[in-house]
Amino acid sequence: MSRQDGKAGQDVLRRVGEASVLILISLADGPKHGYALIQDIKQLADVELGPGTLYGALDRLERLGLIEPLPADDRRHPYRITATGAAALRVHLDSLERVSAAGRLRLRLGGI
Amino acid sequence: MDDRRAARLVETVLRCYPARWRRRHGEEAAELAALLIRDGTPAVSVAWSYLAGAAREWLTPRPGRYLTAVACALLVAAGSLGVSAGLLASAAPARAASTSQAPGRVHCRPGWPEPVPGVTPAMSRPQVINWEARHGRSC
Repeated sequence: MSRQDGKAGQDVLRRVGEASVLILISLADGPKHGYALIQDIKQLADVELGPGTLYGALDRLERLGLIEPLPADDRRHPYRITATGAAALRVHLDSLERVSAAGRLRLRLGGI
Repeated sequence: MDDRRAARLVETVLRCYPARWRRRHGEEAAELAALLIRDGTPAVSVAWSYLAGAAREWLTPRPGRYLTAVACALLVAAGSLGVSAGLLASAAPARAASTSQAPGRVHCRPGWPEPVPGVTPAMSRPQVINWEARHGRSC
């Protein structure tokens, strides 16, 4: 697997942690607020995201410009994925797919 | 744990976050905690998650906080230097006094030894002989 360098193809999500990636995946089909994100990620990946982890990841993703807050709906702040965030998620998922394919191939070659 | 106690626990933990974070997420975080607890998530688990999040929030470097941390480090360093200097200054007279008395070295101090009854000092090494005769040790 070749390491992708350069701004365009760089996998910026490699070091942000699983929670951040799951949040981006959850936001990929539309804006959501905190509670909806937790529910969706539980259904999507069977991962119970703690609220402290959620807000930490949301702040990190926002600082990276991968998501942005929308005007507050009552006390809830919905977030949406940005174009940069969508591109970063695509690069990361491609990278995961390559690793996954390589892993499956090696398992086959190893006869396991 | 009843609802009121759970809410109070979460409220207490949320106070651990920096003020900037509380202004931005505080109300929503309290509401989210209430919803999660209503759904069956243990209040302690929610509180623990927020506590860990607060710790991470304080430990995450930020530009403004970096300057504050540097200022605090300088203050602590200056304080430590002041305390060290104070300790050295207070130790100096004590050391001078202990050097003049020199309790550990009194055995070797030149001078006339105390006379020991029944022992006649030798002419060549009076101090050492007298000392050994009394204490069984030499310098």
